[in-house]
Amino acid sequence: MIGGRGNRRLRHARLQAILAVAAIATAVALPVVLLSVGGGVSSHELADLQNAGYQLVVSAAGLHGISNAHALSQRILGLASVAAASPVLSVAIDAFPNGSGPTPVLAEGIIPGEFGPTLGPAESGLFPSPLPLGDPTDRIHFDNGSYAGPATYQVLVSSPFAQALHVTTGDRLLLGATANASGAVAYRVTGIFGVPPTALGPTGAFAALLPLSDLQVMTGYADGSSAPVTDAADTMEVAVVASATTQPGVIDSVRAQIQALVPFYGVSALSQEAEQLESASAVLTGFYLALSSVGLTVGLVFLALVLVRRVETERRSIGIRRAIGQPGRSIAAGVIGEGAVLAASGAAAGVLVGYVIVEAIATWATSTVQEAARLALFVPLTLIELTAGVIGLSLLAGGWASRAALRIDLAEALR
Amino acid sequence: MTSSRAPGLELVGVERTYAPGEADEVRALRGVDLAVAPGEFVSLEGPSGCGKTTLLNLIGLLDAPTAGEVRWEGRSVGGRTDRERSRLRLEGVGFIFQRFYLLPSLTARENVELPMRALGLGRALRQARASELLSEVGLSGRERSYPHQLSGGEEQRVAVARALANQPRLLLADEPTGELDRVNTEGILNLLEHVRRERDATLLLVTHNPSVARRARRHLTLEDGRITSDVREA
Repeated sequence: MIGGRGNRRLRHARLQAILAVAAIATAVALPVVLLSVGGGVSSHELADLQNAGYQLVVSAAGLHGISNAHALSQRILGLASVAAASPVLSVAIDAFPNGSGPTPVLAEGIIPGEFGPTLGPAESGLFPSPLPLGDPTDRIHFDNGSYAGPATYQVLVSSPFAQALHVTTGDRLLLGATANASGAVAYRVTGIFGVPPTALGPTGAFAALLPLSDLQVMTGYADGSSAPVTDAADTMEVAVVASATTQPGVIDSVRAQIQALVPFYGVSALSQEAEQLESASAVLTGFYLALSSVGLTVGLVFLALVLVRRVETERRSIGIRRAIGQPGRSIAAGVIGEGAVLAASGAAAGVLVGYVIVEAIATWATSTVQEAARLALFVPLTLIELTAGVIGLSLLAGGWASRAALRIDLAEALR
Repeated sequence: MTSSRAPGLELVGVERTYAPGEADEVRALRGVDLAVAPGEFVSLEGPSGCGKTTLLNLIGLLDAPTAGEVRWEGRSVGGRTDRERSRLRLEGVGFIFQRFYLLPSLTARENVELPMRALGLGRALRQARASELLSEVGLSGRERSYPHQLSGGEEQRVAVARALANQPRLLLADEPTGELDRVNTEGILNLLEHVRRERDATLLLVTHNPSVARRARRHLTLEDGRITSDVREA
């Protein structure tokens, strides 16, 4: 009879322990997923900024809001320590590959000779060098703003576009501002470029790169017919000379000079954007932890209740131990230690479960969620801190239960 | 049989009241005075609810008196802190309970090792002493048996071995044969007498059973929280 009762008690104790570990594992898995994926995406974006080949960005308030982009590029190039000033106009156009129907493409108009130096080490390998887009300065066609010069009609297409639509170098490709093929202009594909991995999916994977003046004429952003400004661009990416890239003072000085040239545009350093991104990432991390704290609190309260229940069921055993003379602090240490072991097991299981969840999302989920999961970063220090935090908090739960153990009336427990 | 060796056990005006001042107040002990010489074998009899177990708990420092003093070797110990009382119990008292109170998840040897673990003895020494004690109570070869694998008599023998593990000067037995048959009762009583003589320990035994009580040399009777009879055999 004693054996049966003892076995039942043992089974209940095991079940309680398993439930406590499961509760904490569930509570820990959530922050593991959030922190690893969130941190991975932020880290990827930060790496993009840090690996960019340019250090400053000029931007206007609205879309395509920078005017006189060619002239502004020249003025910025005239400043000391500036190596390249690359205006970029991004417009969605339509392509008609091999006589087929319209295919939306994100077209980027650039000045080839300025665009190349603004590519970072990770990106430069994706593009042919030098860019086979004819006139590297884009001045011939631009012709001092008259757009009367001969256009090269050359275009580079992205590798996903080329693969999907069977376009190769040397092919003729119709490009137009609208889905009407009759208004499209024939371009020759002079090269194919790779698409860098993006943090949030394949946006812009179907892309084309062509001279800025060509795109401006095609879309009406040359003479202001489609925009409130002439010779329009979205941004101007500015690279400083190699010797100045590690000198924040020089970069800030260039920024101030550009700002003086165009006080009505925003001029920001990528380092500032990186700082803002890091701040935003820190806020998000705090939010993730706050969100996770709800689950962690529930898990720890459950652990505390399990420990208190264990103390109640072990009331007689504790009474016997104490009657024999085992010190109260030793009993308390046992209860707290048991809580810490359960919490550590739960935290370890939670980390494992979180990892498996992220891997599963990265393998089986679709689109942007999958892309984000693939960027997940499991930082050992963060996981250790999380585990240590859970164990630390479990000491409170254990402390609560150990108080109950120490308050047991010995005479009552042994009756 | 008495011994000149300390300690002496002394109770002076000991009272124990539960829920004092409340409607359900219970006066379990009412001014108990008692002196027990070292090495004495004392039986404590009385009807149910007369305060026997309460008295034993106070003597063994499992409980503290509401009033009066419990003295060991002339030192007042009843009012000590919980921690101090734990230490005194560990170093000086061996308990034997009616229901054995072995820990079901531990083997016989591990149960016997418990007080030695609390004393901080090393594993090898603990195991050797526990095996020795189990052999002394006639359980050689049952070291690895769990309580549910032992008979009632064997369980109580393990409990006696555990009570002796800290080499106590005071053995307190609360109805140690209450759940045993006649043969096992005899065996346990013989064993208790033997260890008391061998170790020159004081043995205080609570019992309802007159034949068990007859084994003692001094007989106390407790009624309604008071000692009403104290008979020493010649």
